[in-house]
Amino acid sequence: MMDTPIEKEREDELEALLEVTPALAQKRRSQARIILDRFLRNRTATIGASFLILLFLFCFIGPFLTGHTNPNQPNLLAPDAAPSLAYPFGADDVGRDLLARAAVGGQVSLLVGLASMLVAILLGTAIGAIAGYYGKLLDNILMRITDVFLAVPTYLLLFVLSASFTNGSVYSIIVLISIFGWTTAARLVRGEFLALKEREYVMAARTVGAKDFRLMFRHILPNAIGPIIVNATLLVGQNIILESVLSYFGFGVQAPFPSWGSLISDGQGQINTDPKLVFIPGILIFLTVLSCNLVGDGLRDAFDPHMTER
Amino acid sequence: MGRYIIRRLLQAIPLLLLLSIFMFALIHLLPGGPEAILVNPNMDAEGRKALRASLGLDDPLPIQYLKWLANAVRGDFGFSFFTNQPVSTVIAERFPPTIELFLLALLLSLILAIVLGTISAYRQGRFIDYAITTVAYFGISMPIFLLGLLMQEIFSRRLQWLPPSGITTAGMSYDAFNGFLDHMLHVAMPMLVLAITFTARWSRYMRSSMLDVTKQDYMRTARAKGLATTPLLVRHALRNAVIPLITVVAIDFGSVAGGATITEGVFAWPGMGQLFLRSLDQRDFPVLLAILMLSAFFVILSNLLADILYAIMDPRIRYS
Repeated sequence: MMDTPIEKEREDELEALLEVTPALAQKRRSQARIILDRFLRNRTATIGASFLILLFLFCFIGPFLTGHTNPNQPNLLAPDAAPSLAYPFGADDVGRDLLARAAVGGQVSLLVGLASMLVAILLGTAIGAIAGYYGKLLDNILMRITDVFLAVPTYLLLFVLSASFTNGSVYSIIVLISIFGWTTAARLVRGEFLALKEREYVMAARTVGAKDFRLMFRHILPNAIGPIIVNATLLVGQNIILESVLSYFGFGVQAPFPSWGSLISDGQGQINTDPKLVFIPGILIFLTVLSCNLVGDGLRDAFDPHMTER
Repeated sequence: MGRYIIRRLLQAIPLLLLLSIFMFALIHLLPGGPEAILVNPNMDAEGRKALRASLGLDDPLPIQYLKWLANAVRGDFGFSFFTNQPVSTVIAERFPPTIELFLLALLLSLILAIVLGTISAYRQGRFIDYAITTVAYFGISMPIFLLGLLMQEIFSRRLQWLPPSGITTAGMSYDAFNGFLDHMLHVAMPMLVLAITFTARWSRYMRSSMLDVTKQDYMRTARAKGLATTPLLVRHALRNAVIPLITVVAIDFGSVAGGATITEGVFAWPGMGQLFLRSLDQRDFPVLLAILMLSAFFVILSNLLADILYAIMDPRIRYS
């Protein structure tokens, strides 16, 4: 199952060798292929993935189809327009196209979700790898820091931090959310590293003279990638929720960039007269998070066939 | 066991100390101190300075922290900047509604999670399993504030069954029974919102740990000697299957508190969460700090409680 790790020069030699025996190359490629096949066989996960693709198309192309690309362009001739061909989702009280607002809000929400996932995963992987690989004092210090993060209700701390460190820009929100996302990834990666660093192939690579950095990121990390990818997928959904909660309470992304959360917060005042202002972005958040969860669980099953029976 | 508990409590002290330094620094980093919010248009720069000094905000931060700490260890968290009441009084006022909401939701979601998870595991792959799983996915993917808004829309605006927010109907006086009834109607929605969110999460854990347990040999033995389904599940499976759930619940304790804060915000529930949001707005440092430390304390306590429960549920676990 596992290729024996070797020095890069040797690996290159083997690459040449592989061309001679295509069966080996076939086998190597098939690991990813097996996972993909397993994933595609999972119907709910595939539905989730397809929906995410549709959602991206909607957010980035949707406004061009209706011709209302500016989400802040009022149209006083069409206040509170009912859903129609020109305004598929209708318009708000000053005639702003709700589809354009939902789509552009989606761009912001997806950007925040994806970017903060990326930062959090990179940070968590680095910290978890160092803690798990070096162990001892370093591990102890890093894990105590993680404990501090776990001992405080996330939302409370998040509210305080967002009031002091963010200025309502998208980037500050991304940084803030990443600060909270890395702990799970760190603990996952640490656990994997603790188990994997004792394996024979790591010792073999060390014997051939591989340095720490190379061992960590070329040899151990690729074998721990499954749980990281799963965590990353779930994290996108969680981050979108976090962003919407922050925006709902007025700490999140500020105008002129409407995110789904800030659209809900804006629309809440008119929930009695026009509930769709709240529920269009609300349903989009819900569907996005649901899809991320379905895809994440599908990936988990695909990476770890032993879990599939559950 | 007693020694273990004492040791764990002692270990919590440095963690709390570290947290208090961290939070203290964090809170004092908030832009615009209380004097910017305690608006009085007639106050000149001189007066503002005097106000800052009277609130003790002119000392260097470490001195302020040590002063706070010296009082805090004696249970004195200072005075609210805004109401001038002792912080303990302010919190004592807000604590009961929160703990009521919190405990009701906790109890309800634990019962629901255990029952639904068990049914789901026992009927693995059948219709009811898929139905419960689907509902659980919906619950997990729904932001808690959105669920609150949705339920307000359905149950109070459309159906008009339940009051949309608050803790009692304002301006009404009831006798004891109807007052209780009125209160229960108010508590129903926020409690359900919190409970649905956490039931969804925990029932998944319950299901998978129940599946692990039902595959054990002793389950087959019990079944083979002719035990009926209900005592089999309740007496043999449940106790073992609940153990992993305890950890998850303990870990989630902080997020239940966070969820309660959000729920209180949505439903105008006059508890600690609302107090927290308001104090943050007003830069009421003493109250903020006290709430943050209190919640951290409860999270640490819940983790300890989970470990003790562990030992009670599983006699094989011994602490020393």
